[in-house]
Amino acid sequence: MGPQHPMTHGLWTLKIKVDGETVVDTEPELGYIHRGVEKICESRDFTQITTYCDRLCYASANTWSHAYIYAAEDLLGVEVPERAEYIRLIAVELQRIASHLMWLGAYGPDIGNLSALVWCLREREMMMDLLQELGGSRMHYNFPRIGGVKRDLPTGFALRARHKVKLFLNRMQEYEALFDESTIFLIRSQGVGYTKAAEMINAGVSGPNIRAAGVNYDIRSAHPYSVYSELDWEPAVERSSIKGADCYDRYRIRMEEMRNSANLVLQALDKIPGGAETYHEPGDPKILAKAPSRAPEGTSGSHHFEDSRGESMFYIVGGGEGRGKKPYRVSIRSPMFITIPYAAKTMIGYKVADIPAIMGSFDPCIGETDR
Amino acid sequence: MASTDWLDINGWVSLLVGFSMDTVHDLLPFYQSEFASVQPMLETLISTSIICTIIFGLMMTTLLALTWIERKFIGRLMDRFGATTSLRSLWVGESGVTAGDWWNQLPLGIGAPIGWLNGILNSIAGNDHKLETISRVNNRGYHGIWFLLPGLFQNVADFVKFASKEHIVPEKADKFVFEIAPVIILATTIMVFAFIPFGPHIWAANPELSLLFMMAIFGIAPLGVFFAGWSSNNKYTLIGGMRSAAQLTAYEIPLLITVLGVAVLSGSFNVIEIVDFQIEQSDTWNIFLLPLGGALFLITMIAEVERIPFDMPEAEAELVEGWWTEYGGMRWGLMFAAEYMRSYAACLLFALFFLGGWQFPFEDTLASLPVIGGAIASILSLVPGVVWLIAKAYVLFAGFVWVRASLHRVRTDQILEFGWRYLLPLSIVNLGVAIYLRLEVWTGESWPIWAAPTLSLIALALFIIYAIDEDKDALAYSRRPYNIQASDKAYPGKHKE
Amino acid sequence: MRVVSEKTQSAAAEKMAKSLSKMDGVEASVNERVNGTQTRYIVTVDVDVENWRATAESLRNDHEVDYCSMITGIHWPESTEKTWEIVYHFLRTGVTDPAIEEGVVVPNIVDFSKVKGMNVPLELQISIILGDTRTPSVASVQDIWAGADWNEKETWDLVGIVFDGHEGMRRVLNPHESPAGFHPLQKQHKLRYHDHEEMYDDAQGFMRKPSDVGKVK
Repeated sequence: MGPQHPMTHGLWTLKIKVDGETVVDTEPELGYIHRGVEKICESRDFTQITTYCDRLCYASANTWSHAYIYAAEDLLGVEVPERAEYIRLIAVELQRIASHLMWLGAYGPDIGNLSALVWCLREREMMMDLLQELGGSRMHYNFPRIGGVKRDLPTGFALRARHKVKLFLNRMQEYEALFDESTIFLIRSQGVGYTKAAEMINAGVSGPNIRAAGVNYDIRSAHPYSVYSELDWEPAVERSSIKGADCYDRYRIRMEEMRNSANLVLQALDKIPGGAETYHEPGDPKILAKAPSRAPEGTSGSHHFEDSRGESMFYIVGGGEGRGKKPYRVSIRSPMFITIPYAAKTMIGYKVADIPAIMGSFDPCIGETDR
Repeated sequence: MASTDWLDINGWVSLLVGFSMDTVHDLLPFYQSEFASVQPMLETLISTSIICTIIFGLMMTTLLALTWIERKFIGRLMDRFGATTSLRSLWVGESGVTAGDWWNQLPLGIGAPIGWLNGILNSIAGNDHKLETISRVNNRGYHGIWFLLPGLFQNVADFVKFASKEHIVPEKADKFVFEIAPVIILATTIMVFAFIPFGPHIWAANPELSLLFMMAIFGIAPLGVFFAGWSSNNKYTLIGGMRSAAQLTAYEIPLLITVLGVAVLSGSFNVIEIVDFQIEQSDTWNIFLLPLGGALFLITMIAEVERIPFDMPEAEAELVEGWWTEYGGMRWGLMFAAEYMRSYAACLLFALFFLGGWQFPFEDTLASLPVIGGAIASILSLVPGVVWLIAKAYVLFAGFVWVRASLHRVRTDQILEFGWRYLLPLSIVNLGVAIYLRLEVWTGESWPIWAAPTLSLIALALFIIYAIDEDKDALAYSRRPYNIQASDKAYPGKHKE
Repeated sequence: MRVVSEKTQSAAAEKMAKSLSKMDGVEASVNERVNGTQTRYIVTVDVDVENWRATAESLRNDHEVDYCSMITGIHWPESTEKTWEIVYHFLRTGVTDPAIEEGVVVPNIVDFSKVKGMNVPLELQISIILGDTRTPSVASVQDIWAGADWNEKETWDLVGIVFDGHEGMRRVLNPHESPAGFHPLQKQHKLRYHDHEEMYDDAQGFMRKPSDVGKVK
C-alpha cells in the first residue's frame, strides 16, 4: 500500500501479505522523504536549525522546534526567563491541539466518515489563527529562540485564545457525538489492533499510544521540563480493554489529551508571570535571555520532549564548524520512526479493512519519520 | 381503476405516431396494403423508440439535480453544527447573516414571508453573535441567487472532463472482459428505468410482472462489478470486486423478500398496479402499513448502490476507488453516473412502492374538504404526477446524502454479517406481516380504519425505544465491546461555558 | 502537579551510577541538567565496547531500564583514539501492564511524587568509543529492547556502524540501492552547495555544477 495512496497519512509504503482478507505479514518501507536534516544541521548555525525542525513534522511544527530549542539550550547552558517558558508552553499546547485535530480529521475519513475532515479542519483553523498571531505563519512558525521566544503574546491574544479554546471545548462534544455515538465507528475501532503497555515500552512506543493502554507515563510529568510542574494537570489515561489498547482507546486518549491541552493553555494564560496582557518588545530580557552562540568541543546536550506523537529527543554534540558556531552532530529521535514498525506488526492477524483503522489510530507523520 | 392525470405522454406519442403512419399510408402511391400489414409493427417500433428517448431524457435531466443535491447538502452538513442541526443553516447563518438572504432573490417578492419566518426562527433558535470568531471560515462568498446556481454547471464540467480523458487499458488486463464490464453495469442500470413509471402514462414498458423483471435486471450489475474488478489485473480491484460481489449478493435477498412483501400487500407484481393500489384502493401509502418494509428497503438499497455506510468495495482508505480504479475517462464517468442512476432508481422505487408514487400527500383528504376541497382538487390536478414522484425521490436522496455525511464505513465482514444475520430474518418477518395483512385484514375493498395507524404507531414506538441511549454511567463500567470505557468519559454538556 | 522530587531522582541516579561503575569497563556518573523549573539528573555512562553486551543485559535485568530511546553514531575522523562514538539514550520508565480486576482494567496511575526505588524514572546516556577502524562494530541489543531494532538499522544506514548479531539489517532511510559502504553522515561526505546561498545569490541556478544542470537541487 503506497507510496501513492490517499490514506497512508504520508509518503511511505506498507507491504502486506494477505491470505484472503486476513493480513499475514507486513513490512514498512520508509525513507521516501528522507531529506538529510541531520546532515544539513551540521552546517547551520544554531538559530538556523530551528527552521529545519519546524519542517520535521509539519502537522505539529511547534513541538519539534521547541524540542530542538530545549536541547540547544541544554548544550549552550542558557537559562530561560519564566515568562518565555509560559509562552512556549502555550504555543506547544495549542500546537498539540491542532495536531490532534489534524489526526482526527484524517482518521474519520479512514473509517469512512467524511464530515469529520471538514469539521476538524474548521477547528484547526481556529488554533492556527492563534498560532499565526503568535508565530507569524500558519504552519512553520520558527517561534522559539535560544534563550526565549521570538515575540511576546500580542495584544488581545489572551482574550481571543480563551474565547477560542472555550468554543473548541464546546465543539468537542459534537465530535464525540459523531464518533462515540455511532455504532458503526465502535464496531470498526473496538477489538482492533490490541497493544499492551509493557510490550510497547520495550518497543520504544510512547506518548498517547501508550497512555491509551492504561499507564500514565508522560514525559511532561515523569521527566518534567519547562513549567509543566507548576500547573495543575494530570496526564490523560485511558482505561483500555483487557486484551490491551485498541483503536478506540487510542482515539479516546487523544480526545482527552485535547481537553488537557486546552486546560493547560487556559491555566497558563492565567498564571503567566507579568500577566497575559503585558507586552514586551522582541528581545526584551523578560522573554529572551542572552545566549552564547558557540558550543565548544566536548560539550553535548540532550532533551526528551513530549511530542504530540510520543517522546522525541534531540542530542546535539557541540564543536562543529566555525569553532563551535555550528553543531558537530545533531541526532533526532522521532517517535513515529519507532512506532510505525511496531504498528505494522500489530496489524498481523486482522483484516485488510482494518489496516487504515489501525494505522490511523497510531497517528503517523512521515515528515518526522524520515527526517 | 387506474389513476390518471393530464400528462399523457404515452397516449400523445401513440396518437402522433398513429397519425403520421396513417398519413404515410394515405400518401403512399403504391404498396398500400403491404404497408398496412406492417403498419402496427412500425407504429410500435417508432412509438417505443420515441418513448424510450423521452424517458431516458427525463431520467438524465432529473438526474442532474441529484448530484447538485448531494454537493449542496453535504456542503451544508459538513460545515455546520452537529448532524441534526444542519438544517438550521437554511435560516441561520454566522454573525446573524444567512448565506445570501436567498429568499430576497425570488421573483415577485414572494420571498418576503420567508424572510419574516427567518426572523422569527432566528429569534427562537438562532446563533448568538459570539461566534464571530470562526465566521470567517464559514462565511460563504456568494450572496443571492448566484449561490444556488453554480453547482448546476459542475455536472457539465464533469462530463466534459470525463469525455476528454484518455481511455487506458492496463497492459495485462483481460481486454474483452475489461470492456464488457462497464457495458453490463450501464446497460442493466438503464434498462431498469424502462420499467419505472414516471407518471401514470409515462412509462416505456409495462409487462405484467414488471416488478420481478426490474429486480432481476437490477441484480445483474454485481456481475459487471466483479468483471471490472477481476479484469483489471490489479490486486486491489480484485479485492474490491470480490467484496462488492459478496455484499451485493448478500443484500439482494432481503431486498427481494421485502419487495415480495410489498407485492403481496398490493396484490400485484406490476408496478403501476402497486401504485394504483395505494392511490385508489387502499387510500394509504404502503409505508404506513409496512414501516419495517420501508426501512429494510432503504437499508438494502443503500447497500445495493454502494453508498456510505456500505461503500467498502470502493473505500478510498485502502482500495483507492476499489473495483473501478483502472478505468479512466468516459468509462469511469459512465460508471460513476451509473452509481447515481442506481441511487435514483432506488429512490424512485421507494417512492413508487411505499410512498404512493405520483400522488400528492393527503390528496384525497384535501379533495374531500367541505368548501375548498373542489378548488384544491382542481389545482392539484393541474400538476402532473411526475412532479410529485420526482420530488419524493429527491427528498429521499437527500436522506441518502445525510446518511452518507454522518455515518462511518462498515467493514466488509460486518456488512455481510449484518445482511445475513439481521436483515434476512427481518425481511422474512416483514413478509409475514404483509401476508397476514393481506389475507386477514384486507376487507377486499379497503383497510379497516385501525390498520395503518396501529402499525405506524408500533413502528414509531419501537424506533424511539431503540434510539434512546441507555444509562451512560452503567455503560461506563460494563464489559466491552461496544461499550465505552474512558477513565473520565466526556459527554455532551460536560464542559459548559 | 505531582512530579518526581529532585532528591528522589538524584538519589536514584547516584545509586544506579554507583552500581554500574562496579561493573567491568563501565564508568558511570551523574550529570545535572537545568531546564525550566527543575533540575534533571541523568546518568552518563562510558562503556568499553567489549563489555557492552553484559552492561546492556545488566541494565535491563538489574536496573529495569526498559525503554530504548535513541542510538546515535558519531564519526570523529580527526582523532585516532576516538574515531567512532556510539551514544545510546535510554529511559527507565517504570511502566508495567495495568492490573485487571473483575474483568475490567484498572489504569496504572503512578503518583510521581511518591515513587521509590526501581520505579523512579531516570534518563541514561551511554557512550561507547571506538578507535580508528574501518569497520566499527558494536554488539547489538536488538533482542533486549525491541525499540533498538530500527534505531540500529538507522545508525548503520547513516553512519556505518555495524551491529553484531542484528538480524535483518537493511537500509531504512537511504534507498535500497545505495552503494555498499555509502554512509552519508560520515564526515568525508560533504554537503553539496555547502556555502552556496542559492536562494539569495543564484535564483536561476546558473552557478550550479554541470552535473546538476537540469536536476532539481
